[in-house]
Amino acid sequence: MDKFSDRLRDDAAKLDAEISAQLDSRIRASLAAIEPEAARRREPKRRAASFWLASSLTGVAAALAVIAVLNVVDTDEPGVIPPTVAESTVQPIEIPALDLDVKAATLAGPLAQELEDLQADLKKAEEVMRGDVRIDF
Amino acid sequence: MSDELKLIDAAKGGSVDAFTELVRGYRDGLFRFLLTRCTNRADAEDALQDTLINAYRYLGSYNPQWRFSTWLYRIAIRNAGRLRTDGHVELGEPPDHGADPLAHCLAASERENLWRSAKRILSDEVFAAMWLRYVEDMSVRDISNVLERSSSWTKVNLLRGRRALEAEMNSTAGSTGSEAYG
Repeated sequence: MDKFSDRLRDDAAKLDAEISAQLDSRIRASLAAIEPEAARRREPKRRAASFWLASSLTGVAAALAVIAVLNVVDTDEPGVIPPTVAESTVQPIEIPALDLDVKAATLAGPLAQELEDLQADLKKAEEVMRGDVRIDF
Repeated sequence: MSDELKLIDAAKGGSVDAFTELVRGYRDGLFRFLLTRCTNRADAEDALQDTLINAYRYLGSYNPQWRFSTWLYRIAIRNAGRLRTDGHVELGEPPDHGADPLAHCLAASERENLWRSAKRILSDEVFAAMWLRYVEDMSVRDISNVLERSSSWTKVNLLRGRRALEAEMNSTAGSTGSEAYG
């Protein structure tokens, strides 16, 4: 036990926390007037074997019904021919090459500024937080 | 089976005597803790009564994997909080600082009680965490369970609370106007 812990313990003991006889009898009377509720936790219900059999049969029947429906709907009709796709006659467009070196130089400027701003914001937030909690990281 | 578990079983069956015996060792500490959380002694007494009644009524839901004291303090904190939110304190009247149980109990103290400083500079939850750690000797895990907080939160705030109180303890003057921690 260090000095700090001892001090806290001693100071807590200085609190006058004596329970009066009146309060004691009041609590006893209240307790005598109520009934403890039965345990909330219940054992999980045990299912009968017939339940599992019925569940399995229902599952199998449902699966069979789905298979049957799919077979009825998905009939191959030999007379139907898929439409042919017409061949494109449009000439391919030539895209001119861009001078990327010049553009890149102008676009990079705002991004660098944004990065600097964000770093400054981060630094400010860190300073505010240090001030709030008054601890050194 | 431990004595405590035997008493719990008997109390679950409706034995008030068994329940009274069960909580005998916790009652004073619980009341002391509630005195620090309520606005006056009468509220602390009501909170203690409600806590014990709720504990007795819902003893069936107690999970023995946790310490009984942990469960009891959890109920106590909820009851104390409910008393505050229910507006038990007469809002029409000006606050009676003389009724503060901490101030009342420590009036005769020669130096400021550290718990009074703690109440001034720490948030309610951090104060509770500090109390449970240093007065009730609870583990971080139990404190987290009582306060319904993560272990990380508990560890960090115990450390911050300790630093703040140590600074307060070591300071000689100018302790007013401290900021709330946590």
